[in-house]
Amino acid sequence: MNAHRDIMTGLDATADERGSQKIDHDIVSALLVFGLSIALILCSRFISPALGSWDQVLTVLTLASFLVVLSFGQGLVILIGGLDLSIPALITLGGVLTTNWIGTGDFGVWYLLPVILVVCALVGAVSGVGVVWLKIPPFIMTMATSIVIASAALGYTNGTPRGGSPSALLWLMKERFLGVPVVIYFTIALVLLAWAIQSYTAMGRRLYALGTNREAARIAGVTVNRLELAPYAISAACAGFVGMMLVGYSNGATLRMGDSYMLPSIAAVVIGGSSILGGSGTFIGTVGGAILLTSLGTVISAIGLSAGWRTIIEGAIIVAALLVLRGELVVRLGNRLIAWKR
Amino acid sequence: MSTASDTLTARPLRRRQSPLLRAIVSGTGIVALIYIILYALYAFWQPSALSVFTFTDLVNNSTPLALAAAGETFVVISRGFDLSVAGVVSLTNVVMAVYPLQGAGGALASLLICCVIGGVVGAVNGILVARLGLQTIAATLGTMIVCQGLALVILDAPGGMVADFVTYKLTDTLFGVVPVAGLFLLLVVILWLAFRRTDTGIGLYAIGADEQSARFSGVAASRVRIFAFIAAGMLYGVAGFMLSAQTATGNPTAGTPFLMLTFAAVALGGTSLSGGRGSLIGSILGAGTLMLLQKVLFSGGVSSFYTGIFQGFVLVLAIVFGNAVGWLLKKEERQ
Repeated sequence: MNAHRDIMTGLDATADERGSQKIDHDIVSALLVFGLSIALILCSRFISPALGSWDQVLTVLTLASFLVVLSFGQGLVILIGGLDLSIPALITLGGVLTTNWIGTGDFGVWYLLPVILVVCALVGAVSGVGVVWLKIPPFIMTMATSIVIASAALGYTNGTPRGGSPSALLWLMKERFLGVPVVIYFTIALVLLAWAIQSYTAMGRRLYALGTNREAARIAGVTVNRLELAPYAISAACAGFVGMMLVGYSNGATLRMGDSYMLPSIAAVVIGGSSILGGSGTFIGTVGGAILLTSLGTVISAIGLSAGWRTIIEGAIIVAALLVLRGELVVRLGNRLIAWKR
Repeated sequence: MSTASDTLTARPLRRRQSPLLRAIVSGTGIVALIYIILYALYAFWQPSALSVFTFTDLVNNSTPLALAAAGETFVVISRGFDLSVAGVVSLTNVVMAVYPLQGAGGALASLLICCVIGGVVGAVNGILVARLGLQTIAATLGTMIVCQGLALVILDAPGGMVADFVTYKLTDTLFGVVPVAGLFLLLVVILWLAFRRTDTGIGLYAIGADEQSARFSGVAASRVRIFAFIAAGMLYGVAGFMLSAQTATGNPTAGTPFLMLTFAAVALGGTSLSGGRGSLIGSILGAGTLMLLQKVLFSGGVSSFYTGIFQGFVLVLAIVFGNAVGWLLKKEERQ
């Protein structure tokens, strides 16, 4: 547990006082991901002087905040050995309901925003029920939810969502406080809260137990069925909230607004060092993965290559990052770091 | 995916049951039943459904998805997910549209090129997963993105023209009754039936059920896995080839809708997503069912906006039904 705190105190993994030669794989992995993102942003100065500036860092962080929120939910679902494919549909649902029910008039914004989040969480809970009690593979259940919700949103809006953003969301996404966008403070608070929930609460530890070995967790007294619902509901609520953030960011909703977030939400979790099979990984690593992916995207798009080449480079870098961050390699590197410091 | 493995993979040998009963309660049997029921509904609402023309049209529409789902089945049985299907279909579609080769010989050459493209992508996936130890979703996500990028480099906006021979002959019928596209599917099914009896075929199921014990039993696990990815990639290539015959034009994002639909088709066909159990034939029927469902809903007067709601429910119901049947059988056995 000490090692977890080190990330916050000084990015210094060697302060680990357990006296063990082996260093926690998660920590090194998270540090590497953060290091890569920082290096990427610094190096981008060579490409164009406009890059690597404070403003660009803020832009990257603002864009990354969508992915950070999403990948918290996705990460929890992956942690228990599932996969949430309903994220794009729930982003759209959150966005469409926000513009349709509230809109620019700020009608009932203080109770309708939470209501929309609850609606999204309920949809996620339905996926969870299908997975837990109907024994449908998570992959298929969330995909089915996704198809149904996307279709319902299409029918509900007759193909073209109307309405704009409530002013509260515009304030969240556009306003600055002390020169930094409000959303960044908000995301940092959310990250700390989410990190605490995942790593330090009883529920978080039980989720790890569930993801590592379901049967063992059940025997150890974890109410597995009820617990397994939570990640799906949380993930859906996170996606719904990102829908709201996107409404504030672009002042409106579209039916395809969530599509481009499906694969990045999984990629952020995997790059952050979690196993896709569940039971391992930290949220801090995932946050690093989200920031790395976003900064990669902005740097690549600034190079001025055609869309095709940009995509190729992005794919190649994802594979390369995965190869570099592979388990044994990271552990070996971490152990060498310790040995070298001593 | 742990929940699925509890109920689906651990099926003991059932010697007492007749082969017929086993075929009916297997995933393939269930999806075949659903297909027949849907077709009956379709014929009821639209009597022309029984004509050769409508049937050919249906087969033509379903073939690209069916081939892609057939390919995905290899990887899913070996316990993995292959996302590169979307990239390979886009890439081959674009290649077909930008470099059309005329005539029968040209069509054959194009088919070979598509197979080679898919095979190379599959080999890269296989090496990344089996030799370098990446997770299947992660590795194939990377190759999928690279392939989509390559497709954009070759053709940056929808356009191009697929060779006439491919467009006309491959969507036609043979002797006025047999859809040519259907012959492709038949060939794949025959190859599959032969393959699943080979050592590699048995090894495929073995590594999907339990890689560790398969390895101890002498299965060359990583070679079988690489083979599965290559076979899958080649089938995606053929799927892209047949899609080009359908659309007659190129689109750098043509493969994107395939990503979700192939997995839906595979699951609908009764293949366990946690590996070790399933059939390519079921996946082909699953793909056919998804496409047929759209037609049925349209002929039944349902607004196309709401098609997805029905697709989602059919998907869930098919799996719940399969689970329930499996559970009942298990219970019966215990008694």
